[in-house]
Order: sequence, then structure tokens, then C-alpha cells
Amino acid sequence: MRSGRHFATVISAVTVATAFSGAALAAWTKTYVVEWNEPAMYYGAKSGVIDPGTDCPKGTNAEIDWIKVLMDAGYTREEAQWLRNPANPTRSPIHGQNQMAFRGKDRANVYTNPTSTPDPGLVGVSGTIAEGLNLDGDEKTGFTSPTGEKGIDNNFYKALGCWKTYRGPPRLSSGALTFNDSMRNGSWTTVIVVSGRGADPMNDRNVKVGIYVSDDKMVKDGNGNIARDYSFRIKPHAKYEGIVSARSINGRIISTHPADIMLRNPAYDKDLELLRARIDLTMQPDGALKGYVGGYRPWESIYRGWVNARGPVIEALTWVQLPAVYYALKRNADYSPKGSKGEKTHISYALRVSAIPAYVLTPDATRVASSVESYKAIAPQEPERVTGLFALVVDGIVPDRNAKVQAGPNAVILPPPSASNAVESDKQ
Amino acid sequence: MSFRFDRRSVLRGMLGGTAVYMGLPVLDVFLNGNGSAYANGAKLPVRFGTYFWGLGLTDTPAGGTRWVPTKTGPGYEIMPELESLSAVKDKVSVFSGFRAIADSKANQVHWSGHASILTGIAPASASRFDGPTFDTLIADAIGTSTRYKMIDVDASLSRHPVSYSTRTGTTFASPETTALGLYTRLFGPGFQDPNSDNWKPDPSIMLRQSVLSAVKDQRDALMAGVGKADQIKLDQYFNSVREMENQLAVQLQKPDKCEACVLPAAPKEGPRSASVDVVNANTKTMAKLLAMGLVCNQARVFTFVHTAGSSETYVAGQSKIYHQITHDEPTDTQLGYQPETSRIAGMVMQAFGDFLVEMNSVKEGDGTLLDHMLVMGFSDTGYAKIHSIENIPMFLAGGAGGKHKAGQHIHTAGDSVTRVSLTAMQLVGAPVGEFGTGTMKTARPITEVMA
Repeated sequence: MRSGRHFATVISAVTVATAFSGAALAAWTKTYVVEWNEPAMYYGAKSGVIDPGTDCPKGTNAEIDWIKVLMDAGYTREEAQWLRNPANPTRSPIHGQNQMAFRGKDRANVYTNPTSTPDPGLVGVSGTIAEGLNLDGDEKTGFTSPTGEKGIDNNFYKALGCWKTYRGPPRLSSGALTFNDSMRNGSWTTVIVVSGRGADPMNDRNVKVGIYVSDDKMVKDGNGNIARDYSFRIKPHAKYEGIVSARSINGRIISTHPADIMLRNPAYDKDLELLRARIDLTMQPDGALKGYVGGYRPWESIYRGWVNARGPVIEALTWVQLPAVYYALKRNADYSPKGSKGEKTHISYALRVSAIPAYVLTPDATRVASSVESYKAIAPQEPERVTGLFALVVDGIVPDRNAKVQAGPNAVILPPPSASNAVESDKQ
Repeated sequence: MSFRFDRRSVLRGMLGGTAVYMGLPVLDVFLNGNGSAYANGAKLPVRFGTYFWGLGLTDTPAGGTRWVPTKTGPGYEIMPELESLSAVKDKVSVFSGFRAIADSKANQVHWSGHASILTGIAPASASRFDGPTFDTLIADAIGTSTRYKMIDVDASLSRHPVSYSTRTGTTFASPETTALGLYTRLFGPGFQDPNSDNWKPDPSIMLRQSVLSAVKDQRDALMAGVGKADQIKLDQYFNSVREMENQLAVQLQKPDKCEACVLPAAPKEGPRSASVDVVNANTKTMAKLLAMGLVCNQARVFTFVHTAGSSETYVAGQSKIYHQITHDEPTDTQLGYQPETSRIAGMVMQAFGDFLVEMNSVKEGDGTLLDHMLVMGFSDTGYAKIHSIENIPMFLAGGAGGKHKAGQHIHTAGDSVTRVSLTAMQLVGAPVGEFGTGTMKTARPITEVMA
């Protein structure tokens, strides 16, 4: 299916289909596979991932002093130190220390009840430059793009841009590396079909862009890069599909109308729901397609995504207190589907996308997709079940079924004297 | 009917109506002049083992590395995280740029990498392998004439025993997790000193052998009387019985004399802590015992785990475990890598170096034990920060009885890890022509390191 010989067969099929279908098909079509996508987080430092820059003058949010955090939450120093001790058998090397969840008022679970603790504070972006799109059409609000365009709406970046997991030069933040490596190794595939009615793809007033998923995995070349020109069948999906109307001007494809779409998210939470979504994608001289897809995301699902990825692990690895993420997202939410007076349940966001030429086939694999259309009507119902590691997560932690004492508000923290003596003797 | 006897011959007969096996003493006709090799010209046996550690070695997202030498072929330079291999460098080949290829499966973090190396199959889930590990194939080929077909060792002092050796993909070996446990297994009850002048077959073994053999007729009758599904179950069960019969038969032979075999002293129970200094000390102690177990012909195949894929190890006094540090430590702008991660990776690799030095310190024949063995060292990830399964560090150490052209650095731009696995199998004589499935299927060993 992925051979050049197969491609020759496909081209013949497209030619025939065009001849017989006539006006039903677009005048031109370009198809791509997304080889990299990450939140558009403008990096204002010269190098590294934590250095001070115009975006975050104090650099990335600093590593947390967890002993202090626990003591502020009411644990004694001895308890706090024992909770953070690698030798503590209640601290899983895989799932972290579950007791970390219970540091809210009256030792409430701060992951499921983040307001049970005061806002720990997450320093946001203070720079004026951001990548993304003008979602509200107002050039007086938002950031300025690196190329000088006004009105860039990206409050997701404003809220979380100094968080270590998102900060760094393009393709080098730890979050981007982690999720794109997973995608490129076969966890999911996103494909793009661009079609137009005009004669010149570079300048066309009637362009449609379809973003789909495929069950066909990307192939790496000998250098570890995603290989061009492989074939991918569109998978009709009940959720993951986005169709946007646009026009092209000198190869730059810009939305003409906002659309509500759902894409496969390069993150722990798989759903990237974007209301009033827009695109700004540019056809590159080398055949690639690069730019942004943006819109307003429901901010609470972003927070829940991190909680469900195991709160203690995320907090320890990414130098953040998750309640601070909750407060930061809520504070910076800037859109309500109910209108300007409604509660701000969504936050502006942009995804930075890089796609390379590929043969994107119709779901039945009979031909290269020659138009942008919705396949939701023929999509099977997607099961809602969570699989894998995260199916084990309950309220932000993975309970240890074999533990004699479970983490919780009333857990006994310190080990019996005999056990602690044994640990001390181990150190000697 | 004519009989030919050699040092492996076992006399078979009937005792009280049941079959018994009787080993033969080592006759002069079986040996050469100095006892270092058999008179029929057979070389000292080649042993094989895997050595696993968790969390890979340090790469950088920009392409830098702390372990991949720049020079390929013989005479590679020692990189910072390979410092511990300096003493045995000429007996170690380094393999870089090899990757596990998941095909249509997701990367099961801290699992897909070594599962692919060991089985040739990218696993569908993180709870099982999708085939047997190749160490068991090697054990079937070269491990049948020793007391144990395989020895599995876990030096990690983790909360749960760690082994990645499996015949079924679902049931993993039960490793020895303490030095004392390993000592008891190798040199405790049942151990027969090959250098003893007073060797006699152990009557208890003869009894067990007789008991096992006595059920053969009933076994055959039972097999004939059950359905196909039950026959498969019974066959799996009797296979294990047959393996035990073979092992018992081995113990009824007088073992070959072995100058290198010296009964070690029983170790004391050490501390149980996953701190890297304790794990490394445990590794060294268990390596000494294992080395002597190998030269005393207790086994020819082993698996050795230093730390699990999701390693629990930590530096004493730190509040973060190594695993966490690999993920959360930023790359230092000036250095271009994660300095603390790299420092601990060097500590972890120190154990591998110590392990090989122990193997190399045991004189055997005209060389050392390491010359007569092959150890495949490998990890679960490449760039651990993102659970990469590309550029997974792999090593082949030891002479494999003269088959391994060691001391080379082999680099590829993304070949499958199974090429290294296949090379290892062929170097120790396993009758395997190809290995792996899907994109990882290969019939191409790395001939540059094969004599």
C-alpha cells in the first residue's frame, strides 16, 4: 500500500474519478500528514528551555519545594520529609506519592477539589508577543505575532507559557517532545486534505480544509524523520474531524468563517475541542504545510487532562502545583459560548502544525481524497472507555491495591518506629 | 548394538522396576593433558547472558549524546557515560542508532524497547510480551547440559522481583533477588563440587529421577486418553517434567573437573535499599557469585537485571528518584545535556562495568571467563526524558569463545534492535536464522562483529 507502485495506481484512479464526476470534485487537492504538532508557545529566550526571556523574564516557573508545600498544608516536617523520601514504600516509583493529593483544607484532594487550597500561583507570560490567530477579530485585544500582526488571541499561552512542560524553542519543550514522539511512533495519525475550486491553489477564494485521523501509522526514514509520500486512509471518526472554510492568498490559507471542530490532541487528554476555530496555514516551497489551527478550548477539560495523567507524577515531573494550573486557566479564560455575558468556560488556544505531503485516501482506499467532506455520518460510535495506564487513575492518583494503608485524609503518614529504624540503618 | 561413550554419556537402566540414570566418572580417555579442554577438541563452553538496566543513557533532543562514540569500527573512544567500560573496552562492542519499531502499536513506555529487543515483537500492552524472549531460545540450544538451564538474577532490590525472561510472554522467570539467595541456589544443597575427589551420585537425586521416570507409562496412557486441548496442556506440563529429568540426569554425571571453579564463601545479607550505591554493590556481589556459578558449570545461560525499566533507584540523600530526574531535569543550555541525569547514568553504568570486570577477572583456560561468554547489555529507552525507543544503547561484551570480533562501535541510522539480538544468538551458536516480526523482522546479523 505504501509503495511507489501503489501510488501509480492511485493516480490513475483519481484521473478517472475526475473525468466522470466533473463538478462534484474540487479543481485541485493537496493532501498531507501531520508530522509535528504542539501548542503554539512563543519562546522569548535565546536558548535552553528554562532561561529568562522576553516571554518569562524570570524564566520557567521554578522547581517546587515540596517539603514546604506539604508543611503549609499542615503536615509536620518529619511527615513531609518521609512522604518525599524515595525509600518510603508508599511512594511508587511509577505513580508517585498518592498522599500528595491530600493537601487541601481538611486534607481534601486538591486534584479533584483545587479550590480547597488557595491559589499557589503560576507565573504566566508577561511578554507581548505570541503565536496564534486573531480569534475574535479584534486587533486591540491580545498579543502581537512575531511578524507584527495584532490581535493574536492565545490566553492558553498567557496562562501556561512559563510552565516547564510547555516552554522551550519549537519542538524542544518536554511536552512537545513527549507527545510528538508518541504520535510519530504510531499512537495516532492526523491527516489534512486541502481542496479548492479555483485554478490556482496559491490564490483561491474557495478553499476547504479537512483535518482527519487515520489508522495508518507514519513511517520514518533512515534518519528518523517522517517519510513523505506515504499513503494514509481517512478513518471516519465520530469525534475527531475538522472542516474549515478558507481562502488562499499567495499560498497562505486563512479561514473565512469560524468553525467548531474536534481534533486529536497531542496531550494526555485526547480531545482538542475548538470552538470558533480558525486556521492560518501556509503552503511551503518544499511542499510542506505549516501554520496554526486555533480556537477556544474548554479550560476545565485541560485541567482534568493533567489530573487524570496522575497528579503526583505530573506535579513532580513538570514543576507545578496542579491547583495553580486550575486557577491560571480560570483566571485567563476569555470566551463563553453563551455570549459576552456568559461564564468564561473556554480559553483561546493555538496549535502549531507542520505537515508534509502524503497520499490521503478515502476511507475505502479506492482513491486519493479529491474533496473535503465530512465522514462523521459513516463513523462508528467511539467507545468512551479509558484504556491503558490512565484507566487505573481514580481522582488523580493510582490507588495501590496491595497497600495496607491507603492514601487519604486520615492516612497515618509516619511508619512505625521499627520500620523507620530499618530505613535509617540502610543509609549507613 | 554398539555403544559409544563420551563425557556426556549417561547409563540408563531399570531399578526396582523403574528407570534410573547413572553418570560415568571422568575417565582419562575423556580429557586432554591439562584438563583445560576436552580431549575430543571441544572448546571450553560458551556462556550467554543478558544484562539489563533501566532508563537508557543520555541523549539530547538536539542530537548530542553522552554515550555514542564519534568513531565507528575498532578503537572507538570512551564517552563519558561509558567510562566504566574502559578496563574491558577491547572486549566490548557498542551498538548505537538501533531502534525498536512499534509498527502499528503504541510505544508502551519503559516496556516496548526491551520487549522488542528480547522478543522481536513490539508489545501490544505493557503487561506482557507477545512472544518468548530469545534468552530462552539460547538456553534451549546451549543450556541443557548444566544443572540449571538458566539462572535469572535481579540485583535491583526493587519492591517486586524483576525479570524480563519469559517463554510464554505472560509468565516471567522468578529471579534470585539477593546475594544469599543466589549463593544458595548455586552452591547450596544439591551443588556438586566438580573438583571433589570423593564424588558419588546423590541417592536422593537417583530416587527423584526414578520417581519421575516411573510415571512414564501412565503419562503416555493419560495422553492417549484425553482430548486435544488437554493434550496440549499435558504436553506443556510434561515438557517441564522432561526438563527436570534432564537436569537430574546431569546431576547424576560426575562433573568435569574445573580448575577455575572455587566454592565461594556465603555472602552476608546486605541492606535492602534501591539507592544506586547499594544496588551497585549488590550487583557486584551477585556478579562474583554468578561468575563462579558459570565456571562451576551450574548454568550456561543467565539473565541479569540491574534496575527495572521504571527504575526505582536513587542517589542516597536525594528526594527525587533517578527516573523522575530523567524526566524533569531540563537540558543545561551551556552543556547541551541533562547534567544530573548524565551523572547518575554514569553511576548506573559503573555497575555494568564492574559486572564485566568480574567476569573478566576469572581465569579460565587460556583466557578469562569473559572470553568464553557473550553478554548482551541493553536498556529500555534511548532518550529517557521522552521515553524514546530510538537509539537504545546496546552492547555485546565478551569473546564468545573467539566468535565475537569485539571492541568495535557499530552505528546505524535507525536499523532494528533485532539485528543486535540476532547477532547475539548466532554468536553463541543458537540455530536461529531470522528474528522478529513486522518491520523488525531481520535475517541480517551484524557481520562486522562476527569472526
